[in-house]
Amino acid sequence: MSTSTLPIASVGNGRFEPASATRSIPLLPRNTVLSLLHGYRATISHAYGDVCKYYPSCSAYAVGAVQQHGALKGSVMAAARIGRCHPWAKGGVDDVPLHTDFRYELTPRGFVVPVSLRKD
Amino acid sequence: MPDLIGIILWPLKWLVELVLVSWHWLFTAMGLPAAAGITWVLAIVGLVLVVRSALIPLFVKQIKSQRKMMEIAPELRKVQEKYKGKKDQLSREAMSRETMGLYKKHGTNPASSCLPLLVQMPIFFALFSVLNDVTRHAQAGIGGVGLLTPELTQEFYNAKLFGVASLHDTLIGAWEAQAPGWQVTVAILLVLVVLMIVSQFFTQLQIISKNLSPEAKTGQAYQMQKIMLYVLPLAFIFSGVFFPLGVVIYWFTSNVWTMVQQFVVIRNLPTPGSEAAKMREERLARKGKAIDSSGKIIPMEKYQAEQQRLFEEAERAKAAAPKRQQPVGKQRAKKQAQKQPGDGGPKPSGNADPAPGAAGAAS
Repeated sequence: MSTSTLPIASVGNGRFEPASATRSIPLLPRNTVLSLLHGYRATISHAYGDVCKYYPSCSAYAVGAVQQHGALKGSVMAAARIGRCHPWAKGGVDDVPLHTDFRYELTPRGFVVPVSLRKD
Repeated sequence: MPDLIGIILWPLKWLVELVLVSWHWLFTAMGLPAAAGITWVLAIVGLVLVVRSALIPLFVKQIKSQRKMMEIAPELRKVQEKYKGKKDQLSREAMSRETMGLYKKHGTNPASSCLPLLVQMPIFFALFSVLNDVTRHAQAGIGGVGLLTPELTQEFYNAKLFGVASLHDTLIGAWEAQAPGWQVTVAILLVLVVLMIVSQFFTQLQIISKNLSPEAKTGQAYQMQKIMLYVLPLAFIFSGVFFPLGVVIYWFTSNVWTMVQQFVVIRNLPTPGSEAAKMREERLARKGKAIDSSGKIIPMEKYQAEQQRLFEEAERAKAAAPKRQQPVGKQRAKKQAQKQPGDGGPKPSGNADPAPGAAGAAS
């Protein structure tokens, strides 16, 4: 357990349901980027240890940004964050600005799925 | 898409070639034969010197912020105490947030930051491809992206260390081709690989055994470092077998640099609280010197005088601190306040006040 764990805001209880497969097509780009990020975080990130000056770490920030704002804008935000994480930076807490109208759900692993249609 | 990587690497490769060709030119001007293997090897060593010197400021910066960690250690411990034994994700997150907030408040941060790590990757890749592509470029009769012209590429390609070992030879290639003098090439590569592994292992071992503070030895990162101690040498075996001699020489020189740098740092700027810091204090004590609170080296007498002064100051502060006041009931406090009008507030000068509480607070 370290800063490499995803913050609470980046995980949820959502589940992928085959019934909403068509509605999840627009989410494909961001989930593709998210799977790349998860792969990076599980391997390379791990080997380097804690190097980030911020909480959440740069890679966790990238996950949050792509979840909230999509593959394109999220990637740009993540790049800007890495640009801020230089040796002369003070660091500190720097959360992803949440989307004002987030209409999806997050899975426990940090993927984005459409809101469930079932009432439970 | 593949061109994107090429575009990113182009300026980096250009710089690497500039440095390499400059060193080659310098050594040629100093009288070494231009086409000799030793001249190109020295040029590669020069390249290492330039690259690693450029990274020194970052290194110093990190060491300095590590030292500042000493000052915030008590507050850090407070945060750790607060979340001791709480393993749930919410508490862990809150602890990380508080720790980061603390770093920011004090303007110090032990982390090295992400940007240099990510920037280094393309730089190393550019370095590697410049040295590695010499074979391909020479056979195609072309040069590099900038100053490494077709003629210089050819010269590099033909350069032989000790007259037999080509800089473009790999261990496996030399073994299979068995060209005249291949034993020398194989021997050089084997020796370099062994030395690389030894120096890497030694560097890592020095850090782990001497330069870690007791806190750092408890974390998960420490376990990872211990594993890396045995995994990293394997990477060198791979590189020694498949990479050309020019690349292996670069890597080896870089490794030696790391080892020396680490040695100097552990000796003169050890991590506070680590084994190496204790050893430094002992060394200084034998010379009759000590380190004061700001990290400067001062004579022992001065140090003891300062410690004595600090001790006396603390004693005085303790004696002067206001004693605990007996709790007073609401009614009684009101009565006392009426008896001594203006107590606690700003008083007219020259008015001696007999109240013990006020006397304690004033001193």
